[in-house]
Amino acid sequence: MKISEADVEYVAKLAVLEVADDEKKELAEQLSRIVEYVDKLNELDVSRIEPTPQVVTSVKHAVRDDRVAPRTGSSEAARTVKLFKVPKVITER
Amino acid sequence: MNLQNITADKLVGLYKNRDLTATEVITSLYEDIERTDKDVHAFLSICRERALEEARRLDARIASGEPLEPLAGVPVAIKDNMTIRDMTTTCGSRILENYVPPYTATAVERLRSAGAIVVGKTNCDEFAMGSSTENSGFFVTRNPHNLDRVPGGSSGGSAASVASGTSVIALGSDTGGSVRTPASFCGVVGIKPTYGRISRYGLVAFASSLDQIGPIAKSVRECAQALEVISGFDHFDSTSADISVPEFVKDLDRPIKGIRIGVPKEYFVAGLDAEVRAKTEAGMRIYEDLGCTLHEISLPHTEYAIATYYLIATAEASSNLARYDGVRYGLRVDNSSLQDMYRRTRHSGFGQEVKRRILLGTYALSAGYYDEYYLKALKVRTLILRDFQKAFEQVDIILTPTSPTVAFKIGEKTGDPLSMYLSDIFTITQPLAGIPAISVPCGKNSENLPIGLQLMGNHFEEALLLSVAHHFEKAGGFTV
Repeated sequence: MKISEADVEYVAKLAVLEVADDEKKELAEQLSRIVEYVDKLNELDVSRIEPTPQVVTSVKHAVRDDRVAPRTGSSEAARTVKLFKVPKVITER
Repeated sequence: MNLQNITADKLVGLYKNRDLTATEVITSLYEDIERTDKDVHAFLSICRERALEEARRLDARIASGEPLEPLAGVPVAIKDNMTIRDMTTTCGSRILENYVPPYTATAVERLRSAGAIVVGKTNCDEFAMGSSTENSGFFVTRNPHNLDRVPGGSSGGSAASVASGTSVIALGSDTGGSVRTPASFCGVVGIKPTYGRISRYGLVAFASSLDQIGPIAKSVRECAQALEVISGFDHFDSTSADISVPEFVKDLDRPIKGIRIGVPKEYFVAGLDAEVRAKTEAGMRIYEDLGCTLHEISLPHTEYAIATYYLIATAEASSNLARYDGVRYGLRVDNSSLQDMYRRTRHSGFGQEVKRRILLGTYALSAGYYDEYYLKALKVRTLILRDFQKAFEQVDIILTPTSPTVAFKIGEKTGDPLSMYLSDIFTITQPLAGIPAISVPCGKNSENLPIGLQLMGNHFEEALLLSVAHHFEKAGGFTV
């Protein structure tokens, strides 16, 4: 599968990444090589195989007791970070 | 005072006997960093005042005869993708250049509770994406054995620091070999434990189903000491395993006679350097002399591992790294609209490799390609896991080289991302299967560059793994 410069542009838009015009060609070539390599997986018939999104090694259920415990809260976070001003989101039409 | 030849145990013993103070050790350590790190570049940041303050407090406690923790006054270095409250945590990325986290990673917290003194944060490939530490957004770390060579990656700074004696133990993280490859290239020990053994709370996420913290040190014993301290359930990480942590250190000398060691034929193929192969075979003979039995085994899906890994890891990364948008963390490149701000910030903050991986991962997850790439990779992951399950029915331990080559030259592979990915071939399958693996030194090649031997165990079999590695060290395997 070849990745075109238009594909790069499209995927960059999905990922909210800016890709400069002079980067597009190189990225398309590099990604094409990688995607051609991963096409190797097509050699395998996996139609009857279950996916493994995560190797589950934890035996107990993850839900914890509902107890009050000290934890870093948002006020603590605000001490070190300038929270959370963003540019204007809503604009006049 | 040179920390290159001193172990954690020895150091604590010297403190106890009042032969040395922690203040002396930490002071001289920072002199060493000043002297050597201008060449090696292992550290992104150091914390001299804080470390000296902790050393002074420890010295006061020693003077008053208080009992000491197991790692009291042991200088440790932390890969800069683990948070420490009030210390900059960059992940080797410009996008987090000024990020100061308000909390400390559980593994680091536990290491400090055991008495260790954090001396600094170490360099790594940006967001741990790389095999050479050349992808750091700040500078390249060099291999202390040969400054023209890479230290391996992505935990290159941690391994280089231990190898050059500017820390006794260091923490790295391993997603596809990032603890073991640098350990191998720098001639030290590094273990990636079972997925879930150590809490990932405070480890900045790269690929959440693969990431695992692991200690790096000069000896197996020190790795066992650190692992024992940092392992165990943590309710801040729901994937941390709620099972008891064995006494790894106590267990190191358990007899290993009769242990069955599997040697997968798929790892001894073209591309494996002749000298690495020869040393690995010499390592195998040591195990025979120790009374273990060697068995040829097969892990038939090994050749699909890199493709599987680079789809899963990049897919998870593209999702994990979506949070760096200029709003909550570090860098913000201001612009008139919100969308522009997101895009500009990510453009100036992320390096080339990170962008490449976000693009690849987004592609693999995008409509029309999800089934073909991401889902298929998850299914092949099942086959890789089954390979190991079958193998561990026949053997207790699996032995391979850690890397097909010794440390390569700086710049040798940066122009060709795929060739860099292919160098990970021996350290990719274990995170996919969630099993533990350790890299130990196994002699040097004719250019005096370290070679690493890798041992793998079944899920939660770190105690066996460490003891098998420890016997190898005692039998002279490190300098075979």
